[in-house]
Amino acid sequence: MIDWFSFFVVFAVSIVAACGVVFLFSLGLRLASVRTGWRRPAGIGCFVLCGLLILYGVYLIIPSLH
Amino acid sequence: MVVLVIVLALFFDFTNGFHDTANAMATPIATGALRPKVAVAIAALLNLVGAFLSTEVAKTISGGLIREGHDGVQITPVMIFAGLIGAIMWNLVTWLLGLPSSSSHALFGGLIGAAIVGAGFGSINLSVLLSKVVFPALLAPLTAGVVAFLATRIAYAITKKKQRSGFRYGQIFTSSLVSLAHGTNDAQKTMGVVTLTLIAGGFQATGSGPELWVIVICALAIALGTYTGGWRIIRTMGTGLTEIEPGQGFAAEAATTATILASTHLGFALSTTQVASGSVIGTGIGRKGASVRWRTAGRIAIGWVITIPAAAAVGALASWISLAGLPGIIADAAAAIAVIVWIFVYSRRNHVGANNVHIEPTAFVRPKKKRKSTRSGEVRP
Repeated sequence: MIDWFSFFVVFAVSIVAACGVVFLFSLGLRLASVRTGWRRPAGIGCFVLCGLLILYGVYLIIPSLH
Repeated sequence: MVVLVIVLALFFDFTNGFHDTANAMATPIATGALRPKVAVAIAALLNLVGAFLSTEVAKTISGGLIREGHDGVQITPVMIFAGLIGAIMWNLVTWLLGLPSSSSHALFGGLIGAAIVGAGFGSINLSVLLSKVVFPALLAPLTAGVVAFLATRIAYAITKKKQRSGFRYGQIFTSSLVSLAHGTNDAQKTMGVVTLTLIAGGFQATGSGPELWVIVICALAIALGTYTGGWRIIRTMGTGLTEIEPGQGFAAEAATTATILASTHLGFALSTTQVASGSVIGTGIGRKGASVRWRTAGRIAIGWVITIPAAAAVGALASWISLAGLPGIIADAAAAIAVIVWIFVYSRRNHVGANNVHIEPTAFVRPKKKRKSTRSGEVRP
């Protein structure tokens, strides 16, 4: 009656997506706060990846883009 | 009759919008990422845009809960009318109590009540009710809670204390995504109700999509509702359940967004309200030193349990009165307007708006004192 398989897929995907975004954004905050060397560009790279994930979310929301 | 149903449907859309502002905007308001007025304006705009983005209307009003169609019940405009009254009443009562509750469940509940009176218990599809409403209602907050818990742990493990204010900027994006997703989903419901009413009334061809004017007014109604802002619910979600820091807010919003998008695209529908509430609780458990007010959480859970029966009871009552024909329908409408006006007048007595949406920090430590000072700012448990 209840579709446990699709529930677990949803559960797993939610964990990976949410934790991925939070991981990237946190890493970005941590790296970008140091102004020296490679850290700042790397931090900005993390933010850019985060932005891409959010754009993917927008893509998922808007049906006419599919 | 058709006009009356459309007006009620739009009012339901309005309450839906202002009930659900909290899902997206409670945490950014609580952490100060967005000023309250700005937050609701963004949410309203995104709901408006979202309503235009997707106009794929559901085939059935009740999502299969009621056996509709050839071999089942014919849902009449009168039943929709009574169901909408039930849904609106329940939305307003939960708003008055500051409880986040699912607007779609209220709509289902109202329709179920009306259908039972109009066509008997056999018209309800119990197994669909269990698998589409009852189990997801248990799983949604659990899922979101676990996701938000893990996300909060990650955020706090990686960042140092002074870096965490940066999460505010991230919150703006994640909460905007929740608003947009809400607009694409929830305005649809009302468009579906209005379109199916027009079809049932013979004003529109069977199987045709919503007219442009229906899309426009539904989008405007939900955006206006969102902008008006259900501040009582925002207060419960943002500051009533737990103290939220920017890092937690970001983690909770990320969890809400991810869970909602995953559930809509991988075929296991979960209620936005329940996901968002679960996320806030999960993030409250996830940060060391934060505490969750389980009493408030329990009250919200009780609200979810009785949403469908309560809306069904009102829907059934309205449906029963409307059996008397035109006088019954007029009596229904009059009673509904009277209750709506009374609730709005009553809510004025302890107004919660953009200016006092935050509970004072001391009140969080000593909830008893706060209850005395604002009298009934929070409902008695």
